[in-house]
Amino acid sequence: MLLSILEQGLIYGILALGLLITYRILDFPDLTVDSSFPLGAAVSAVLTVRGMAPVWTLFFAVLAGCLAGLITGLIHVKCHVRDLLSGIITMTGLYSINLNIAGKANVPLFGGDTLFKNPFTRAFPAFLAPYATLLIILVITLIAKLLLDWFLSTKAGFLLRAAGDNPSVVTTLAQDQGRVKILGLMIANALVALSGAVMCQQQRYFDISMGTGAMVIGLASVIIGTNIFRSLRFMRSTTMALIGSVLYKASVAIALQLGLDASFMKLITAVLFLIILVISQFRPKKVRLHV
Amino acid sequence: MKKIFAALLALTLMLSMTSVFAEGKTYTIGVSQFAVHGSLDNCFEGFKLGLAEEGFVEGENVVFDFENSNADTGIAAQIADKFVNANVDLICAIATPSAMSAFNAAQDRNIPVIYTAVSDPVAAQLAGTDGTNPGEVTGTSDALPVEAQLRLIRALQPEATKIGILHTTSETNSDSSLETYRQLAPNYGFEIIDKGISTGADIPLALEALLPLVDCTTNLTDNTVVQSLPVVLELSAVAGKPVYGSEIEQVKLGCIASEGIEYVELGRQTGHIAARVLRGESAATIPFELIENSLLYINEEALAQFGITVPEELLARAITVTAD
Amino acid sequence: MFEVRHIDKTYSPGTVQETCLFRDFSLAIEPHSFVAVVGSNGSGKTSLLNILCGSIDVDQGTILMNGEDITRMKDYKRYRKIGRVYQNPALGTCPTMTILENLSMADNKGKRFNLTGGVNKKRIEAYKEMLLPLGLGLEDKLSVPVGMLSGGQRQTLALLMATMTPLDFLILDEHTAALDPKTAELVMALTDRIVREKQLTTLMVTHNLRHAVEYGDRVLMMHQGNIVLDKGGEEKKNLKVEDLLGLFNTISIECGN
Repeated sequence: MLLSILEQGLIYGILALGLLITYRILDFPDLTVDSSFPLGAAVSAVLTVRGMAPVWTLFFAVLAGCLAGLITGLIHVKCHVRDLLSGIITMTGLYSINLNIAGKANVPLFGGDTLFKNPFTRAFPAFLAPYATLLIILVITLIAKLLLDWFLSTKAGFLLRAAGDNPSVVTTLAQDQGRVKILGLMIANALVALSGAVMCQQQRYFDISMGTGAMVIGLASVIIGTNIFRSLRFMRSTTMALIGSVLYKASVAIALQLGLDASFMKLITAVLFLIILVISQFRPKKVRLHV
Repeated sequence: MKKIFAALLALTLMLSMTSVFAEGKTYTIGVSQFAVHGSLDNCFEGFKLGLAEEGFVEGENVVFDFENSNADTGIAAQIADKFVNANVDLICAIATPSAMSAFNAAQDRNIPVIYTAVSDPVAAQLAGTDGTNPGEVTGTSDALPVEAQLRLIRALQPEATKIGILHTTSETNSDSSLETYRQLAPNYGFEIIDKGISTGADIPLALEALLPLVDCTTNLTDNTVVQSLPVVLELSAVAGKPVYGSEIEQVKLGCIASEGIEYVELGRQTGHIAARVLRGESAATIPFELIENSLLYINEEALAQFGITVPEELLARAITVTAD
Repeated sequence: MFEVRHIDKTYSPGTVQETCLFRDFSLAIEPHSFVAVVGSNGSGKTSLLNILCGSIDVDQGTILMNGEDITRMKDYKRYRKIGRVYQNPALGTCPTMTILENLSMADNKGKRFNLTGGVNKKRIEAYKEMLLPLGLGLEDKLSVPVGMLSGGQRQTLALLMATMTPLDFLILDEHTAALDPKTAELVMALTDRIVREKQLTTLMVTHNLRHAVEYGDRVLMMHQGNIVLDKGGEEKKNLKVEDLLGLFNTISIECGN
């Protein structure tokens, strides 16, 4: 039970890292996510079926995610379309792209090796074998988290944080805030696509409906994580997002265990979401600025 | 942090213990249904019926743990994990994504997965092309009786040459049914003209383009199209083109006729397979089954509207249905 | 040298709200001069700053920076040579980032924002030395997020950030208006020191007539998109706050205020 919560929580944790960038750092409500998640999955599934080593498919999934973010960014920055709408446009278009990449709405991977079932994992000693999946997920998630932590501490990362915090500072630093936003969207969607690819490898199938509600899950994870632990100043927000994601999946698992009628699941998610958001409003508001 | 996890762990352990009260000969069956849907609900009803006929009666020696993932693949995976962790005796998975999630979770633990309402088990890699199963997994397919349907259309509209099919590009079930229609149609002198849609909102425009080109349309088990059936029927009536259904519910709503499978029957057949597995047979060696005999449903009111008469030999076995 | 030549600017052209702000407006700002601009609300002071910095476009005319035509240059490119402090202390700093992170970013202006470390540890001592003489205690708060500082502290920091790297021009947009009188004096004195030290060409918009007279080597008064008073050199030395106030009131009465 705990094992599957951790597995799912950490996979969706990568998605939460992506949303941390768009929602928390850039303050950009990016709906691209609902399509870049299955995009990563589609790319990974198709390349795996074609015989590529599953671990390499992750790189292509990341690349595809970058492109999705780039498109949303260009629509927003260059065509001056509002943030929410730019995401919706990309999300809608990507749906068709995903379907065409996959070739059909559902691609199973039961036939061959996957990231979690291959000669390498079969060589795990017996006592470790049940944890093989979790270990691999943990390694991938930690790599993603540490890379993101590192990036946010670089000069380029500072600029990204500044762009969400106070865009006018970026401009007065003689930097193009549009480019910074595009970069942020690319990194965010790369993480989301990676999450989708790992999910697809773990559940061993791609389904076009995989992305439904991905943004809500990621957003809930970020909000749960950053609000529960907001008093802990030493904890990084990336860590908070990952724990938030695990907690979110744990609450779904508990709801299932309690025999909750699944038809109420979405309503409960929505109510939970609202409660956390309302509670989080009691914190000092971030100053919104416009020149 | 550690405390939170410890509390979580304790809670989940407590919960999972309550659900594993395997006493004597009571079997626990986890049922994972993908979405709320009339046909899928019927599958579960039939499944219980089939098991009961074989002596596995709910409340006596069988406990069902029923979960519906509401069309969310992430939840479907968590439901499957829950069943595997509770170490149920058997998982009944209704519809393709649930079946795939269940098989993925249960494969290494050797918990048998019995699926139903999977249109194309081979495409979903739940069954091999050579009739073998990839593991402890088998079940029943709800592939449409396409051949029978084509014969029906030929009998009711002897002059017809072109059949229109509306389908959602994102539904796998529709993909495989459409492929079967394309392959078999020429044998009955038909040509299939299809129109893909992505959402229900596309239906009116797609139909306007499709209807002038065809003599009639036939439905697949396409969820999006079936949900918008009243719109389809209305526009088709205006254009004077009859609509054939793919199951009884559609005929009740106003499709003229259908060679359909009965999902309660399909579930019953699935229940029989599950009973064999519960008695000790390996699911890996049982090939998946299709429903052999389709049932003919007709809607006399709708038939009269288009001035179509049903030949005597068909009328003999036809079941007349009317709107509820 | 900063110059605008024959510029026209109309807001919301073709609508009922159409307002013509500038018509054939020209102004040259000599290198290393400290120009103070006063005027009532809506006189075009802030619009002039925004036109210089590229936040708003002009309909006609040219803008020159050191002789180069920058009329069509993007705003962020112009800031390579311009530092700017806004009226709102929140606009010049990043609230969720620490003082150290804010200063490090400002310190990197003009260089590439690449994948090297955001904070240069070797510079920390220099930052502390820079903050110490201010007497605000900021040197001990390097790891405190800027959002937790007071308005005066933030504005001081914003001023330092705007002027850390080599610049030609400093644009001050009523930058003491949101501060209490004591802090305003402090920030103004610091501004003067930095401007003299770095020999910046400065354009300061202010509502404080005394600041304008005291610190500017040239004082402009604007009204309805026109310069109604322009005193530099000897003339400025004889200019008194009362003179400005007198003219200011006369204009205001004309407008019916």
